[in-house]
Amino acid sequence: MKKWKRSEKGDFKGNAFQYCAGNSPIHRLGAGWKIILAVAFSAAAIAARDPWMLLGLLAINLVYYLSAQLGLMNLWRDIRFFLVQMAIILVLYLIKYGIAEGLWPGLRTGFQILLLFLPGTVFLRTTQGARMMGSLKKIMPERLSFLLFTSLRFVPFFARETREIAMAQQLRGAPVGIRYAWNPVYWRDQFQCLMIPLMVRALKTARCAALSAEARGFEQRPRP
Amino acid sequence: MKKFTLQEALCLAFCACFIVITRAVFRLHLNIPGHAMFFTMFFLILGRGCVPRMGAATLVGLLAGLLCTLLGMGKGGPLIILKFLVPGLIVDLAGLFSNGLAGSYVACAIVGALGAASRFLTIIVVEWIIGMEWDLILQHALISSACGVVFGVLGSLMVPPIVRKLTAHGLISQN
Repeated sequence: MKKWKRSEKGDFKGNAFQYCAGNSPIHRLGAGWKIILAVAFSAAAIAARDPWMLLGLLAINLVYYLSAQLGLMNLWRDIRFFLVQMAIILVLYLIKYGIAEGLWPGLRTGFQILLLFLPGTVFLRTTQGARMMGSLKKIMPERLSFLLFTSLRFVPFFARETREIAMAQQLRGAPVGIRYAWNPVYWRDQFQCLMIPLMVRALKTARCAALSAEARGFEQRPRP
Repeated sequence: MKKFTLQEALCLAFCACFIVITRAVFRLHLNIPGHAMFFTMFFLILGRGCVPRMGAATLVGLLAGLLCTLLGMGKGGPLIILKFLVPGLIVDLAGLFSNGLAGSYVACAIVGALGAASRFLTIIVVEWIIGMEWDLILQHALISSACGVVFGVLGSLMVPPIVRKLTAHGLISQN
């Protein structure tokens, strides 16, 4: 996965919705508080109907986002998908009602969708995975939490395995690689070459990890 | 979920892990709308094929959603869990009607299309809450999900040969 970089201007470069390290007040806020704020802002977005309410809410959301020191570039990365959605919705309204009657409802709905998701974006951008996990651990069953953290731990392992399997198959002359990926004729072969060894590896790793966890007393009741 | 052995549950967790890896890899290279459905449907049905029990695909979907939320992937913030959970539920429901779901091309294609079309549901729920009109909601959902359905069907069609090979080698059982 691509890691973010911080430029000299203080902007973070990375994928949309990905965590950006920082020391803003929003970063320091507890995960629980951020969830409460996100729910409150999203609920307000659903309730807002008048232009002044939407503008006020947009201003609040922008202040909230920018006070997390995420920068305008990240804001653009996060909202561009919603801008496309806004354009589609606006066009649908204009086709149905015409410019005079369709413009405001189309714009309002587009803004409402944007404002519904923006607080959640700030939560993802400013909350580290470890802190989210800490909050999740308190509310999740033990087994689900174990599965989640084990799979998270194995993400880099399987990413490496996939690369190694692809390399080994390429050495054997299998049609694996970017230049074959564009041709649907090779998709079936590519899948068989990559997925069968990968699944065999996953099944073996699952057996080993399960044995290891059971040997360490996972899910065993404490002795009286 | 209790009925899964730890080994089965971990195998499903790894399927969720693969969904996240492919999502991360392909979002760096491709910008085709809906392409993520290819691997999502593939691993959801494959998970169900490897562990043919009720709840298998749902668990894969739930874990993939939680992983994506933790890693900050996908649009819509924490709502992304729904995008994986609902297709997982659909795969499991289809499994009730067809025992050898993961080994049949026709069943996989139907489930792949239905699962991918469940992206409709998230859009419909959000826009219905906001108060959009039904015909506009449906048109928007159709435009946003059409590519996803095509990729979902393609991805699910890749499952039967792999499940058949894994079964033939005795690595998984279809009972």
